[in-house]
Amino acid sequence: MNFPPDAPLLEVKNLRVSFPGDAGAGGAVQNVSFSLARGRTLALVGESGSGKTVTAHALLRLVPAPGVIEAGRIIFRSRRVGEIDLAHLDEKSGLLFKVRGGLMSLIFQEPMTALSPVHSIGSQIDEAILLHHDVSPAAARRQTLEMLNRVGIAEAARRYTQFPHELSGGLRQRAVIAMALVCRPELLIADEPTTALDMTLQAQILGLIKTLQREIGCAVLLITHDLGVVAQMADDVAVMHRGEIVERGNVRDVLKRPQHAQTRALLAALPSRRGALVG
Amino acid sequence: MTAVDPVLSVRRLCKRFPVYGGGFRRKIVGEIKAVDDVSFDLVPGEALGLVGESGSGKTTTARCILRAMAPTSGEVRFRLPDGRAVDLARLAERELKVVRQHAQMVFQDPYSSLNPRMTVREIVGEPLVIHGLATGAALDDRVAEMLRRVGLQPEHRERYPHAFSGGQRQRIGIARALIMRPSLIVCDEATSALDMAVQAQVLDLLKELQREFQLTYLFVAHNLDVVRNFCDRVAVMRKGRIVELASAKEIFAAPQHPYTKILLSAVPSPDPDIPMNFNVGEELAKLDAAG
Repeated sequence: MNFPPDAPLLEVKNLRVSFPGDAGAGGAVQNVSFSLARGRTLALVGESGSGKTVTAHALLRLVPAPGVIEAGRIIFRSRRVGEIDLAHLDEKSGLLFKVRGGLMSLIFQEPMTALSPVHSIGSQIDEAILLHHDVSPAAARRQTLEMLNRVGIAEAARRYTQFPHELSGGLRQRAVIAMALVCRPELLIADEPTTALDMTLQAQILGLIKTLQREIGCAVLLITHDLGVVAQMADDVAVMHRGEIVERGNVRDVLKRPQHAQTRALLAALPSRRGALVG
Repeated sequence: MTAVDPVLSVRRLCKRFPVYGGGFRRKIVGEIKAVDDVSFDLVPGEALGLVGESGSGKTTTARCILRAMAPTSGEVRFRLPDGRAVDLARLAERELKVVRQHAQMVFQDPYSSLNPRMTVREIVGEPLVIHGLATGAALDDRVAEMLRRVGLQPEHRERYPHAFSGGQRQRIGIARALIMRPSLIVCDEATSALDMAVQAQVLDLLKELQREFQLTYLFVAHNLDVVRNFCDRVAVMRKGRIVELASAKEIFAAPQHPYTKILLSAVPSPDPDIPMNFNVGEELAKLDAAG
């Protein structure tokens, strides 16, 4: 490999993403830098519009037009393909397609938009395998069934043939996780993976992500607006506000001794912390 | 809360849905008890939280109460401002229209509950037009006043919903519900689609409005944490039934029912030293097995 073994898996340096025509002078993401070690979990937290999702999408080069990555580097050190700068990769580069879904996967907030409504759950996961691995369709099917089992979908053989609309929200999100992890990526980006779910499903899905992360050994970049989820899932946290990272560090330090006003505001917004303000 | 007459008195409320077979004739093969023998009282000025998982029947209960759907059986006694009590479960559609001035609903999704082809002025003013309570300049004044009250700029009333953020849209929904000066507001997951900071602002607004207009709230939510400080009492629903009803303080300090305990354990604490329970799936299954 073309990098030292202890170098972080992901290093984002001075990333700047902007949407031409925006009223603001700055970008949607300005001067964002962070790094993520193998197997660790980093939470990017902020209010809606703070730039956390744009940052996540930039990593996979999925910033929707007219948005552009104006500056910065996204160094991804894969054990399989070596060190690459995703910010400067060509749009049509084969390497980019290898990264997407193979080395780095994304779980979206709303599972219904992440799944094709006209293909069965099984065939969509098969497709992910066939895209990244040179295996027979029968072997892909076996891997898919095994993965459906591992994400806690009972009666995998029956679910394999079902369509997304036939599944409950919780099962759909499990299917999306199966699809994201079936190629054993080195980095999983989870963009508000449980925001659309109720509390008990959220706990189950978060637990599942934790378990599979350990099994696969991937790092997780968790995008959320909920500091409760951050506290329970992440090792490190970066707080975003208006496109910039305003505070970052170890989860325990940041949540117990928040330094920046925005971090304190996010903590104060938690319903459990609001006893003094209302009532 | 003893001598005060309840605003709303729900007794043995039931809602059943038929389950159809797979065949061509769609024979009814069973029924689902979405709401199963639910009873509770709401006293004036209180906020009662109705919590539970998706499918627990909390939204169906709320809809049956306001007759957005007809309950199968049971009583929903609602006291009008003039002191008269009516049974919403049995009222004819025509009489319902009058009653609905006094009981309004705020919906979950601010993106789908506002008509995209109507301006904010039309959306917020529509209830007054439907009930024939104001026209012309008087209508315009009341809309402007209500928008100001919920923290929106009255100058923006000619805009369409798409021009507003999620939190602002929820404020529009609240303005529409409040313009009739109702005594009861049913909030169906009114803040669930909003991010934490915006949710906090909307909850604060609802609390202020409660004091100002002496509102009584039925607050449906899946997030126990949200009802914690907002509600005076909390009813926990599971499979169509209320399994526990107590003051918010008691529910959080000393939950009695095992289901309430599981729900509470699933709330992610912002303190990394208080670990949340990731095994709720297994525990719920055990509870199911126990009956």
